Amino acid sequence: MSATLSTGTPAPPFLLQTLHGGGEDGVRSPATDPATLLFFFKHDCPTCDFVAPLVGRLSKLLGGAGLRSVAVSQSDSATSSAFVAKHELAIPVVLDQELSASEAYAFDAVPCLVLISGEGRILRAFQGFGREDFLALAADAARTCGAAVPPLEQAGERWPENRPGCDSRVHDPEIAQRLAVRRGAARLSARRVHVPEAEDPFEFFAALGIDDGLPVVPPTEARVVRMLEGTKRSPSEVVALVPPNLAPATVEKIAINAVMAGCRPEYLPVVIAALEAACTDEFNLHGVLATTYFPTPVIVVNGPIRHEIGIQCAGNVFGQGFRANATIGRAVQLVVRNLGGGKPGEVDMATLGQPGKFTCCIGENEEESPWEPLHVERGFRREQNTVTLFAGEAPRAILDQTSRSARSLATSMGLCLESVAHPKFHGYGEVMLVVCPEHCRTLEADGWSKADLRRRIQEATSRPLGQCLPDAECAEGLPLQALPRDLLGQDGRPKPETLALPLAKFRRDEDILIVVAGARAGKFSAVLGGWVGGKMGSEAVTREIMA
Amino acid sequence: MHDLADYEARGIATVMVASSEFVGAAHKQAEALGLPELATRAVYVPHPIQDASDEEMRAKARGAVDAIVQALTAPAARP
Amino acid sequence: MGRRKNGVGGGDTRDHGLRDDRPRGRVAAVGNSDRMILDPTAEHRPLRRPLSVRGSSLRGPIGLVDIAKARGDVFLDELEALLRLRAPSEQIIRLRKPTFTKPAPRSLRDEIAQRCRVVIQALAD
Repeated sequence: MSATLSTGTPAPPFLLQTLHGGGEDGVRSPATDPATLLFFFKHDCPTCDFVAPLVGRLSKLLGGAGLRSVAVSQSDSATSSAFVAKHELAIPVVLDQELSASEAYAFDAVPCLVLISGEGRILRAFQGFGREDFLALAADAARTCGAAVPPLEQAGERWPENRPGCDSRVHDPEIAQRLAVRRGAARLSARRVHVPEAEDPFEFFAALGIDDGLPVVPPTEARVVRMLEGTKRSPSEVVALVPPNLAPATVEKIAINAVMAGCRPEYLPVVIAALEAACTDEFNLHGVLATTYFPTPVIVVNGPIRHEIGIQCAGNVFGQGFRANATIGRAVQLVVRNLGGGKPGEVDMATLGQPGKFTCCIGENEEESPWEPLHVERGFRREQNTVTLFAGEAPRAILDQTSRSARSLATSMGLCLESVAHPKFHGYGEVMLVVCPEHCRTLEADGWSKADLRRRIQEATSRPLGQCLPDAECAEGLPLQALPRDLLGQDGRPKPETLALPLAKFRRDEDILIVVAGARAGKFSAVLGGWVGGKMGSEAVTREIMA
Repeated sequence: MHDLADYEARGIATVMVASSEFVGAAHKQAEALGLPELATRAVYVPHPIQDASDEEMRAKARGAVDAIVQALTAPAARP
Repeated sequence: MGRRKNGVGGGDTRDHGLRDDRPRGRVAAVGNSDRMILDPTAEHRPLRRPLSVRGSSLRGPIGLVDIAKARGDVFLDELEALLRLRAPSEQIIRLRKPTFTKPAPRSLRDEIAQRCRVVIQALAD
């Protein structure tokens, strides 16, 4: 017997519509009758047919002494009426079609008889039919009402010792699902909005202005409840404060947006970790949003989770076709829009934007990499699952189909990287270099490490300071305030002897983030330029993905 | 208000007339339908309604007709 | 459905008892959940869809819908007379819901939507 129906536990109160309308009955709290007998039944259960007359008999014999009997039907009104008429049941009958009372009493089979004391506690309960059980319940009922135990078995009747019941309707597969949703939905505190009957839910959403221009999956209670099964965290837990409005992103709100994005429940922990990373001061999501420049939060996933949930790391990894990649990035964007309030034309001031602002999430192809993966380089263990957020442009091609040596290939990469933002902008901040597997093989063959690659890129991009400055041909270039103080003379301009100093493209070697991704065939790598670095800008942030 | 949401979705301009007692409930219902303007543009007439005489009811109609026409003709805000 | 032995409940892993942490005012109806969606925003403002476009002047057919609460008919009679003075060339159609306790039946809503250009619904209290 379940814990709910143990002797002494408080009987769950409920009030349901009576069969013939116009009233409610059930179990009140506090209890008002000396004893209450509940008879849960289904109209098409043969054991309920057997028990019904016995309940009627018991109710007639002890009703005068204070036993109040209520029959609770899991069936609809028509079949319940027929059942009641068939057995000439003279006790009140209530309808529990939504199974709220049946769920509360947590029994598995009908008939279920429950005897409740005057204080509202369970005295005795059993499911199906047992001769001893029924007689014991009748004796308890009589004792509680201060009456003599009535004779129940009539002459000539032969009661079976035991007779099994039928599954309670809470176990119907269809209903079990709906009940699980109802239980789950009761824990959700988000405002509900009702899509009117005549309206297409997709058009309704499109009119609300909370999507990214593409249709979203309507976040019904059932879908959000199912999404929340993807995490162990409580729906009310606050994961981050989302810029620009610094609205609290609870697990529930993230789940709602993840449903809209089209995520599966197992993607939710990745979305949560990505938001934790994006909302740090270092990443500076507000700045990333508000700039007129191009960056989007680029999400790189590392660890075994990539294969567990199907994050693409190989061919067409920046492209279309992979649900996990597409929807995880999209969920993050929707949260920023809907919770943070970051919308184009408002806080989002991007001049041109880029397609990665719909979604940009890739897995690192750790298996093809000759080096330690990104997250290990950044201090995590290989078996940990992580996301790394990088404020990046759209990928730009690095073509090198001819280099046979690592040095030559790295030189190509440097030459291509020099044009990030503007060729004259040296001392640049972060950049993400995505090395394809074929290029990895070339670098690996000469035993080059990531450090070797970075060093050669910096050498290849070095150009004299004088060529980085604004000049008559091209007014763009390094502003004077970007130069180290000691290079400037009394007049605030660079000293003549400094003009020949070689200036590498990137401020530090470590600013070149290296990720391996892509298909095995093709000698094309890519660069994603970063935004500004330093305190006013954004730095890449890595966070562990927790269940 | 469900009805009015249905008509609005079909391109029909609507206005609800309600007693002033109904303001709070109207806002709640309208927000639950994603159409808060159904409540902000509704025309509220002074309570009481049930006990009002016929002449009092007619006076309420005269007092409300301008706002009713306004609700049906003033441009709706775009999102 | 399978049969079960009486008295054997099996492991009970479900929540039991009435839950009192439901959002207040919410009816625990399972049926409508496909049409109930959750707000993905920070809820500073209500979710808002635009109303239908308004014409700059009052044009009919004008539907006057009585929601069947007491005294509404008197109000609407007077309103009809006032509107006839304001917009004499516009058609006015009187309609009535069977009850104010629930949305109008589908057939009535369809009729109203087809016959009317604008709708005035009165008088809720």
